[in-house]
Amino acid sequence: MRPVVGFAIATGFVLLVSQSGAAAGADQGAQLAATCASCHRLDGGGTGIPSIIGLGEERLNSALLAYRAIERPNHIMHAIALSLSDEEIASVARYVAAQGK
Amino acid sequence: MKSWTRREFGCLTGAGLLTALSPRKALGQAKARVVVIGGGIGGATVAKYLAASATTIDVTLVEPRQVYTTCFFSNLHLAGLRPLEQLTHGYEALTRQYGITVVHGSAEAIDPAAKTVTLNNGSTLGYDRLVVAPGIAFRDGSLEGYDEAAMEIMPHAWNAGQQTRLLRQQLESMEDGGLFVLVAPPNPFRCPPAPYERASLIASYFQRRKPKAKILILDAKDSFNAQDLFQDAWNRHYPGMIEWLPAQFTGGVTAVDPKTRSVITVGATFKAAVANVVPAQMAGRLAQQAGLTDQSGWCPVDPVTFESALQPGIHLVGDAIIGGDMPKSAFCANSQAKACAFAIAADLAGSAQFPAHLFNTCYTYLAPDDAFSNAISFKPVDGKLKSVLSFISKVEESAEVRRKAARAAEGWYDAFTHDVFG
Repeated sequence: MRPVVGFAIATGFVLLVSQSGAAAGADQGAQLAATCASCHRLDGGGTGIPSIIGLGEERLNSALLAYRAIERPNHIMHAIALSLSDEEIASVARYVAAQGK
Repeated sequence: MKSWTRREFGCLTGAGLLTALSPRKALGQAKARVVVIGGGIGGATVAKYLAASATTIDVTLVEPRQVYTTCFFSNLHLAGLRPLEQLTHGYEALTRQYGITVVHGSAEAIDPAAKTVTLNNGSTLGYDRLVVAPGIAFRDGSLEGYDEAAMEIMPHAWNAGQQTRLLRQQLESMEDGGLFVLVAPPNPFRCPPAPYERASLIASYFQRRKPKAKILILDAKDSFNAQDLFQDAWNRHYPGMIEWLPAQFTGGVTAVDPKTRSVITVGATFKAAVANVVPAQMAGRLAQQAGLTDQSGWCPVDPVTFESALQPGIHLVGDAIIGGDMPKSAFCANSQAKACAFAIAADLAGSAQFPAHLFNTCYTYLAPDDAFSNAISFKPVDGKLKSVLSFISKVEESAEVRRKAARAAEGWYDAFTHDVFG
């Protein structure tokens, strides 16, 4: 099986960036993406749960905003998105989009 | 896609750069040692996310078993719908891909002053940080007559593996028309919807193979998780097959008699063809011995770092903790484990910690093609983990929505176990 590539890379960035100060616009996306990984395989594999790899930053961002707005059609994504700020949505979308490349 | 190893990761980011940025780990010093005790969902997740977080942390995972069989989805095995092998996971990927040292031994004692763990083979492991994920133990004497010998006759099947196989064998060899008795535990216990999902899936098996069989749930409680969804499904799928008796009706289960396979309540004795007895629970034994539990039998923790409120330097995740509004579920253990791993990594590196996001998501089977789901988010409020938002499937949902949830659940199992075990 293939490892969760994205995670290994991203947490490295978190450590690097956060040590220079979280206030300096650190990429929090990696830690947020760890939540995604509980249901979505970040190596792009798996069936049954839609893949979030290869969608692109804008589409991920707008999908999370849409899930946040209404309970239907997916109350799980609604709950997740409601807990995220605009900035958090942007950073997780940026991070996850980078995994498909 | 290319495979990635920790070694390559270290080369790419530059081990020298990481070292230079780590104030507490000056050049030439040993790596920080984190020992994780318990290779269930919480422990394995902490180990993996710590190891992936930094090349400056050496992670050792202590777990007696060579493989782990998940409790979640084990009700599908009881219904004959999934082989136990498909629910069983090894630790090889954690070693191969994340460089974690997996020690297959049992932790016997913790010395918080010396910062050492003693294993059953007499060896000791030193640590800078310790994470304990001991899971659950059963409360001695909560049901008279329910000892280790009785568990082999009236299995609990609340730790997956041999007990799950045993209960499945008993259900298979039971004659049509037999009575299956399920004793449901008092709160709090591992996986609140699980006893009722178990009754539902076993009913689906009976309907296919033993249509005259009956299921009796003798509950220690007067209500249960997602009760409206379960009772609606029982009426639709298995009319007349499942009877649920709350504690206020029976007075509660007080004893069992393995010789006659009987369950004894305050008011009556029920003789079962197959009995599944799930006793009252508390934090795993090691937590009790190491002084990590309070009077409740569970472990109080800081809701941000998951550090023990009783023993500084020791963190706890999973079913053993007092999780506030967080239920004892594999998903919560996984969610807590990530927050805990990020908190430890940030602290060891002396860096700022991002606000954690904690969730529970659960798919529950009412029938093989009918599942419901829920999602809850949590935040630390005044030292406790509080539920912030909660959504759950509705009783009136269409069969198509439920069928999709049942298929999504299968995909979730694959992704989730991949997240935990690599």
